[in-house]
Amino acid sequence: MQFEKKRAETEQKIPTSSMPDIIFMLLLFFMVATTLKEYDVLVDYQLPEAESIEKIENKRLVTYIWVGKDGKIQLDDNIVTLDEIGRIMYDKRVAIPNVIVSLRVDKDSDMGVLLDIQQEIRKVDARRINYSTYLKI
Amino acid sequence: MVNLKKKKKRGASIPDAGMSDIVFLLLLFFLVSTTIDVDTGIGLALPEYIPPEEQEQVPISKDRMAAILVNENGDVLLDKKIIAIPQIKENLIPRIESKLDLPKNKKLIVSIKTDRKTNYNLYIQTLDQVRLAYAVVKDRVGNNLYGRDYGDLGDEEEKAVRDKVYEIISIAEPEAIK
Repeated sequence: MQFEKKRAETEQKIPTSSMPDIIFMLLLFFMVATTLKEYDVLVDYQLPEAESIEKIENKRLVTYIWVGKDGKIQLDDNIVTLDEIGRIMYDKRVAIPNVIVSLRVDKDSDMGVLLDIQQEIRKVDARRINYSTYLKI
Repeated sequence: MVNLKKKKKRGASIPDAGMSDIVFLLLLFFLVSTTIDVDTGIGLALPEYIPPEEQEQVPISKDRMAAILVNENGDVLLDKKIIAIPQIKENLIPRIESKLDLPKNKKLIVSIKTDRKTNYNLYIQTLDQVRLAYAVVKDRVGNNLYGRDYGDLGDEEEKAVRDKVYEIISIAEPEAIK
């Protein structure tokens, strides 16, 4: 009796020539999907968690306001005082009428700061806001 | 003797075996260096600003209001009775549902009021509970009318449910600093 391994006559090879193409596609996806415009966050903050959250669909409309643990307020790239918020937000609202203000407030801060900010942006009629939170699991 | 023999063409090829390695490196770089920033949060529209001297008091019947107060000591009061935050949802659901068939100007108003020293996290938790209550009611209405959850409805059905439930969350005017 003879044992001989049966081998297929065809060539056994995985075609890898298009692998770079596939990876290029992945690369392109990541390059497009990620926004490189990142802000230098100068305040220390930790967001609260909530369940009934929604995603901001249109990122172009968003202006971020941070409030840190020490009560410092940052708008875009600068630390601002309360009085300046109104003026800056007015310009923004004129440029983008349906601007969304995303409030990234530290979870241990007092409501006072937030109420003041809300009053300021209400005065200039930038009234769409979003309390930034993480999803509670 | 001059060599007239045509040179044999040699196969000219660019070595592309390492190409995928290079692209992998690029990919890895992008994977590591970028954070897909998830912009999630609780969306709201603030009320229009009206200077204090022009503000009017509109009388609203008591059973239309659900007044939530989160005070500086961390107590949460619903209609002046202390309540635990996770109970707000259960408490509001029947009250929202009892007004489903009423016209828009008779629906429940949930008013959230805070003190200046109230903790922000507590406020968010409270707001979250109110929104969850509305989400539950919307799902129920969606199931009753169309047999699907609110999130699975089409645009027009969604609007119908939204109009029927009609979420009114009022962020109370902050009190002047004493």
